[in-house]
Amino acid sequence: MVILAILLPLLLGGLLLLGLPRTLGVWGAGLSFLLNLYLFLTHPGGMAHEVTLPLLPGFGVYWAFGLDGLAALFFLTIGLTVFLGALVAQVEGRFLGLALLMSGLLLGLFAARDLLVFYLFFEAALIPALLMLLFYGGEGRLKALYTFLLFTLAGSLPMLAAILAVKALGGSPSFLLEDLLAHPVGGSVAFWVFLGFALAFAIKTPLFPLHAWLPLFHQENHPSGLADAMGTLYKVGVFAFFRFAIPLAPGGFAELQGLLLFLAAISALYGAWVAFSAKDFKTLLAYAGVSHMGVAALGVFSGTPEGAMGGLYLLAASGVYTGGLFLLAGRLYERLHTLEIGRFRGLAESAPGLSALALFLFLAMVGLPGLSGFPGELMTLLGAYKASPWLTALAFLSVIAGAAYALTAFQKVFWEEGPRGAEDLKGAEWPFAFLTVAALVLMGVFPGFFVKGLEPLAEAFAKILGGGA
Amino acid sequence: MTLMVLTVFSVALTLLGFFVSVPLYKRLTILGLSLALLSLLLTWGRPFALGPYQVDGIAQVFTLLALLGALWTVGLVRSRRFEFYLLVLYAALGMHLLASTQNLILMLVALEALSLPLYALATWRKGEGLEAALKYFLLGALAAAFFLYGTALHYGATGSLLAGTPGEGPLYALALGLLLVGLGFKVALAPFHFWTPDVYQGSPTPVVLFMATGVKAAAFAALLRVAAPGVPDALTLLIALSVILGNLAALGQQEAKRLLAYSSIAHAGYMALALYTGNATALGFYLLTYVLATGLAFAVLSEVSPDRVPLERIKGLFHRDPLLGLGLFVSSLSLLGLPPLAGFWGKYLVFSEAAKAGQWGLLVLALLTSAVSAYYYLALGLAVFQKGAAEAHPRPWARSVALGVALLLILLGLIPGAVLPALAAG
Repeated sequence: MVILAILLPLLLGGLLLLGLPRTLGVWGAGLSFLLNLYLFLTHPGGMAHEVTLPLLPGFGVYWAFGLDGLAALFFLTIGLTVFLGALVAQVEGRFLGLALLMSGLLLGLFAARDLLVFYLFFEAALIPALLMLLFYGGEGRLKALYTFLLFTLAGSLPMLAAILAVKALGGSPSFLLEDLLAHPVGGSVAFWVFLGFALAFAIKTPLFPLHAWLPLFHQENHPSGLADAMGTLYKVGVFAFFRFAIPLAPGGFAELQGLLLFLAAISALYGAWVAFSAKDFKTLLAYAGVSHMGVAALGVFSGTPEGAMGGLYLLAASGVYTGGLFLLAGRLYERLHTLEIGRFRGLAESAPGLSALALFLFLAMVGLPGLSGFPGELMTLLGAYKASPWLTALAFLSVIAGAAYALTAFQKVFWEEGPRGAEDLKGAEWPFAFLTVAALVLMGVFPGFFVKGLEPLAEAFAKILGGGA
Repeated sequence: MTLMVLTVFSVALTLLGFFVSVPLYKRLTILGLSLALLSLLLTWGRPFALGPYQVDGIAQVFTLLALLGALWTVGLVRSRRFEFYLLVLYAALGMHLLASTQNLILMLVALEALSLPLYALATWRKGEGLEAALKYFLLGALAAAFFLYGTALHYGATGSLLAGTPGEGPLYALALGLLLVGLGFKVALAPFHFWTPDVYQGSPTPVVLFMATGVKAAAFAALLRVAAPGVPDALTLLIALSVILGNLAALGQQEAKRLLAYSSIAHAGYMALALYTGNATALGFYLLTYVLATGLAFAVLSEVSPDRVPLERIKGLFHRDPLLGLGLFVSSLSLLGLPPLAGFWGKYLVFSEAAKAGQWGLLVLALLTSAVSAYYYLALGLAVFQKGAAEAHPRPWARSVALGVALLLILLGLIPGAVLPALAAG
């Protein structure tokens, strides 16, 4: 089942690249979403759907996949966001094909139970991201592309060294996660191994000061927002810290915890600060993303079960609302051919549906109780407070700032009086709006239903770190 | 058997050259090389020895790679003189010999047997090519002298002419060092790489393909044997220099062949990491992916132009000819070692050998320089998608080969396990 869920978008993506019509991609994305939804709803808890096929058995590498509560949650949000993107982004078939290809690789990344296979997907997902930027990006795409690529590789190649070291020095017979966890590395090795992982994942979180690639990446990507939504899903750093880096080298994490908490808090605050003064929509969302990921990272770095659960839930939820906002920005661009916040005005009158959707998305981002951003932030707050009250207080200033920048932007675009009108929701945008709002509300009102699969994982995580509830 | 096929064809074709037409001659050369390849595959996994000529696993794997390079070169070239094909055949014979012996004297003979035809091939183009070839020849002769001196000292230190005889003492260390210099020159390890950029740029592209694939394969087989009892400390320095110089110098290159020349120096450094544990399977796999990827790159370039290929001239290749463009793109990503392409597993295998040997410093250096290499490989791979007026007049089969090899690179990336047992059995 898991293999099918991963292969389906890969296969469809490949077909679309060969020139099949776009409609097929939309239906395919829908099918993929339904399959992922089914996998999530029927998930029995624990590790399900385990598959292990030999890849390089002589060297201890296996195509090992499995779906635990965490992976299942991300399957759901990735499937949903990609489907939303396929519904509304007016892009050609090949572009959608790249997006589907990337979604398949991301699913593989979340389901991987073998460290090297995880690495494989982590790197491979880079290729469609680069190609989307290259073929459909703006004027300055080459610079953005090189920045993105060099940042990513500068992180992931040291990670490869860490991966090799964790097996060679820990004495594990394979790269399977359970084998590696049974053969932990200690002492100074753990420090260096963790550093190798941390660099790669901090870039992909992204944590300040390693976030420099992100704003460029978003500015130069196609205005439809599809590539940006995929890029948002690609920010897997927080997940990878939780799943791999910290459990594999807890000793190394312990030494760096203070620094990481500090960086996470700074990211949260700095992102919010820059977002507040952003002039265009995508820059605003890019820095808002930095800020939110800072909060999520703070939760995981706290080492407490609540914090980790909150951080991961926030990551999953932000895939949907930040992705949704990028897609919304694409809709606005299509209508008015600009992304500059100051050039929109008073759209609420002419486009009430669009305005309502935007309000939902912005409020979810702000963390209004009842919408999907809130539960994650709350749990993070509870967990992080135990680890470091001061830094938590600092980081949560960003939540207040978030309300400021998000609502200011909303007010400017939709409320202030202005001469410009825009068409309201039309065609496929209606189902897009309904699905988005439904997801935001459901994830906000029934967080327990979504996080129940995370609980045992978060407990185990805290236990490795010697804490626990 | 392989030796016999190659020898018979070389001698027979030497005589035939004056009587048959060139197209037929080309076909006969291809036939000879294919038969040699076939004979190799028929006896795969079964060692064979006749005096100092020993076809063991290493010999089979590396001869296979060298023959692949030779075949590709012959297929690509559009020479109207029969001597070209004959020289490739002779060089292939030398490569097979070099890969199939432990005897240092025979190695030296083989080394010369493969080098002399290459010196001639390097001069195929007049003018600039001549200067490069002269450089190649002079430095090559010097390297052969080093190798010979190393052989003599080796005999003095151990009383044996067999490579891989354990020994000790400063004389032995010096002998190994000299042998390393001789072979390091052939595989283009820094600081013995000075000929590489000039020769790659100045020689006809198919010849460069042959140098980059066949010569490297054969010389690495010999290196494996020489380094079997223990790697000389100097190798660490050579590897470090190769990966740093190769990758940094490639950064600023505007000419595709020169860029790939520096890339080949860096790759020689990566490959040499496998010498620490003497794992022929890891090295063989790396070479296989390297032969396919760099061969593909040169094959595409030679369809664009047999001479210099500034990056300007491949801009827009994708729009002009999608298959060739994609071929170059895939090959540069594989050379960079981005999963899921075959090059990644090659890198992974040799890097894990370095990890096993505890060479963490070199490993980190190699990985960091790999990250640097992304810049120039992308410049090469992405150029095909940019706007430009690239021209190519490919022969129909060149497209199919480009597509086939590109698919192979992807396939090998997805199921590397499929060929590893075969390499290990050889």
